[in-house]
Amino acid sequence: MHNTYKTNVEIDWCPGCGDFGILNALTLALQELKIPNENVVLTGGIGCSSKIPHYVNVNALHTLHGRSLAQGEAVKIANPHLEVISASGDGDALGIGMAHLVAAGRRNIDMTYLIFDNGVYGLTKGQASPTLPYGENIKSIETENIKFPVNPLFVALASGYTFVARSYAYNIKHLKDTIVRAIKHKGMAMIDIMQPCVTYNNINTKEFYDARLYDIEASGWNPVAKSEEEYETKVSQAVLKSMEWGDKIPMGVFIQYERETYAQRLSKLIKGYEERNMVMEPIHKDGKPINDISEIMQSFI
Amino acid sequence: MKKDLNLMVAGPQGSGINFTSDTFAKVMSRQGFYVFTNAELFSTIKGEHSYFRVRVSDSEIASYSKRVDILIPLDSKSIILHKDEVSDNGVILSEDKIDDNRYEALQYREILQKVAAKFNKNLSELNVMKNTVALAAAVKMAGIASEELKKVISENFATRKNIAEMNNAVVDEVYASFNSKKSFNLPKVTKSKRMLINSAEAVGMGKVISGLKFQSYYPITPASDESNYLESIMDKYGFVVEQTEDEIAAINMAIAAANTGLRSATSTSGPGFDLMVEALSYAGMTETPVVIFYYQRAGPSTGMPTRHEQGDIKFALTAGHGEFPRVVIAPGDHTESFYDTVESFNIAEHYQLPVIVLLDKSMAMSNTTTEIFDTSKVRIDRGKLILQETSNYLRYKLTDDGISPRSVPGIKGGIITVAGDEHEEDGHIFSEDPDNRITMMNKRMNKMNLVLKEIPEELKVKFYGKSSNKTVIVSWGSPKGAILDALDYYPEISFLQVRMMEPFPSEEVSKYLKGKYVIDIEQNYSGQLADIIKEKTGIEVNSRILKFNGRPMAYEELVDAIKDAQKNKKVVLTYA
Ligand SMILES: Cc1ncc(C[n+]2csc(CCOP(=O)(O)OP(=O)(O)O)c2C)c(N)n1
Ligand SMILES: [Mg+2]
Repeated sequence: MHNTYKTNVEIDWCPGCGDFGILNALTLALQELKIPNENVVLTGGIGCSSKIPHYVNVNALHTLHGRSLAQGEAVKIANPHLEVISASGDGDALGIGMAHLVAAGRRNIDMTYLIFDNGVYGLTKGQASPTLPYGENIKSIETENIKFPVNPLFVALASGYTFVARSYAYNIKHLKDTIVRAIKHKGMAMIDIMQPCVTYNNINTKEFYDARLYDIEASGWNPVAKSEEEYETKVSQAVLKSMEWGDKIPMGVFIQYERETYAQRLSKLIKGYEERNMVMEPIHKDGKPINDISEIMQSFI
Repeated sequence: MKKDLNLMVAGPQGSGINFTSDTFAKVMSRQGFYVFTNAELFSTIKGEHSYFRVRVSDSEIASYSKRVDILIPLDSKSIILHKDEVSDNGVILSEDKIDDNRYEALQYREILQKVAAKFNKNLSELNVMKNTVALAAAVKMAGIASEELKKVISENFATRKNIAEMNNAVVDEVYASFNSKKSFNLPKVTKSKRMLINSAEAVGMGKVISGLKFQSYYPITPASDESNYLESIMDKYGFVVEQTEDEIAAINMAIAAANTGLRSATSTSGPGFDLMVEALSYAGMTETPVVIFYYQRAGPSTGMPTRHEQGDIKFALTAGHGEFPRVVIAPGDHTESFYDTVESFNIAEHYQLPVIVLLDKSMAMSNTTTEIFDTSKVRIDRGKLILQETSNYLRYKLTDDGISPRSVPGIKGGIITVAGDEHEEDGHIFSEDPDNRITMMNKRMNKMNLVLKEIPEELKVKFYGKSSNKTVIVSWGSPKGAILDALDYYPEISFLQVRMMEPFPSEEVSKYLKGKYVIDIEQNYSGQLADIIKEKTGIEVNSRILKFNGRPMAYEELVDAIKDAQKNKKVVLTYA
């Protein structure tokens, strides 16, 4: 079947880059969900990974370094009828953009965040990213990494993400299914995607992950919580699972819980917010404003 | 000259003293007087010394006066700090006797004791109503009937009837027992229906009528008052106000909401704008119609957060890396703040570029009587926005005027690709073709020429006074008020207010300044507008009157300084 979610723009990733797998999985997921192209918005920050909006035939916002998620959130707030997916590299998401990653969990906007996690700042030639493990000396850096890595899953769980998953760029089936689940999830979903960088990271390679990744759901973990109580218990178990890193690395969905979304909360403050489409609402008639401010002017007399 | 009455209420911050000045201002405005207030606060919540001025007149006023007629000190420190400002015929109202012939006793304790007894309360429960005692005394001295004050108090406490009743009993007690030797009756005026507002509220109303649908902000003085006002009416008008995690998120969210098709803005002050600069450059590159409301305060760094300054004009004109088009507008009073807000959205959407509206602390916190806005003059122009199915769509399509049709997500056939990297017509970024670069730079930068050509003169500059006058004052933003008040004393001097700062209206500015003795007046250290005028027109101003002590200008100090400026190249104002 022809994939109508790919553009014919020439792709400038290195041959063999994990990003190709993510692009394939994402477009397959969109194909499966059949959301009209014009109703999807894909944002990217800056980085190799963040160029992905150009390769997907949907609305593309190629933003600034670290600002992919903040812009994606605003698109969804501005028009809750759109399907919004934000993409970031690990540097984009967990370095320069970390404040947004945390704040997004607090909002629980109904959207999807994909983190292309390669342990390096790819586009700037391989410096250590926030997820590069302590002590590693990949070929692109001068000395071993003396910082501890940040754990994206742990941060997301702590920030209130209601769907938190890890997947793998070379397991297209798992990644596609996880993206579909994330998109269908009503609330803030994050997928931390293990994405080997063939050019700079000679440690966290395909071989490295192939040997270690195991599917927690296939091993009996049920991430779905149905009540606030169940969510609280499951989150703490999910945190423990998220801390596994070594001979075995867990992947799959860690938590999935549908609680009040940001749109539902906004609807309490602004009548009818979720049903309305602010973009299509006229604000003038033949140039004359529709909003009448006489009452508020009176309030100042 | 203009007859006026000047009240000052001073005391520890957080003790509710602004209730006294605000209510006094409201009562006088309702009577038909013109009112101008000035608030001086510390960047703390409780305790530090603060003071509020209310100037009242039977004719139009636009600044505060150095002269205090009634000083209401709510602690002894306030007497020491402000007694020199009280005029010889003025009054210092205090409970404790002071050795000063302007002293008059105001028996707070006695008055509150009587009211407490009436309501079966302890005196301590009524202590908060000290402010009402002061307020009633001031209103009585201004010759206003107690009913007028009680009406406003009842409105203030509409939901707490018993509080209103007690406060009004305090008013009655003050009117019965407090008799000043002096009165400050102003000439009679007819009642009118003017608003008493500041620029934060004027901008807020401007945003509502403009059809704003998305506002983002991160709290900062003196900008957040506007966002908080918008929050109070967002349900009524159905728009979103989003408090973000930082100013970087605020501007990025405003940009994304604009690119999704909403009229969108963010409001901030200097430190917040610093953080927004990278995204401002992005907005220029991506041709995003976003409006930034920039309320200046005293910098650099955190500076004096609650104090006034106009130190950021050059920064606003140049902030952001690379070259991109932007429009910077600087209103000079609340009425202009309203109409300029409307225009800022029109310009942003018509030309598809970022617009900065420059305001300041003085405008954001000074309540002034303002005529009801004539909303029949308001026009909305959304430019080349497409909200219907389209085809063969290119977000950055080359057109004769350089402005491309603008689709948004959700429009069939109108899928957009927006990129901050240099892009081609389709928004894709991969060629980095040198010829395309030239084409796209020309496309974007040409908008500045269009703006200069198409924007009417009154949005660029305003000229006051006779064009034959040999001396012309030039200024921008809030000093306008004190300048207009001072010019009552100088009919031989005219005033040019520069309103659009970017693109700079060199032609209009030259027209009014060429061959004149030019006095530049600004609230900053160096006279930034004067430098810009030199750069853009070659005209060197003859003198600069500058104030940078964090306090707005009193009109009297300008009256003196304008005289000095006819001899000296630089005059620095120091009044606080
Ligand atoms: C404000 C800012 N600082 C620095 C850069 C330079 N820069 C471009 S991409 C990048 C890192 C990208 O790393 P990551 O987000 O992990 O994406 P990857 O290239 O690895 O996919 C940096 C630091 C920039 N574009 N903007
Ligand atoms: Mg990376």
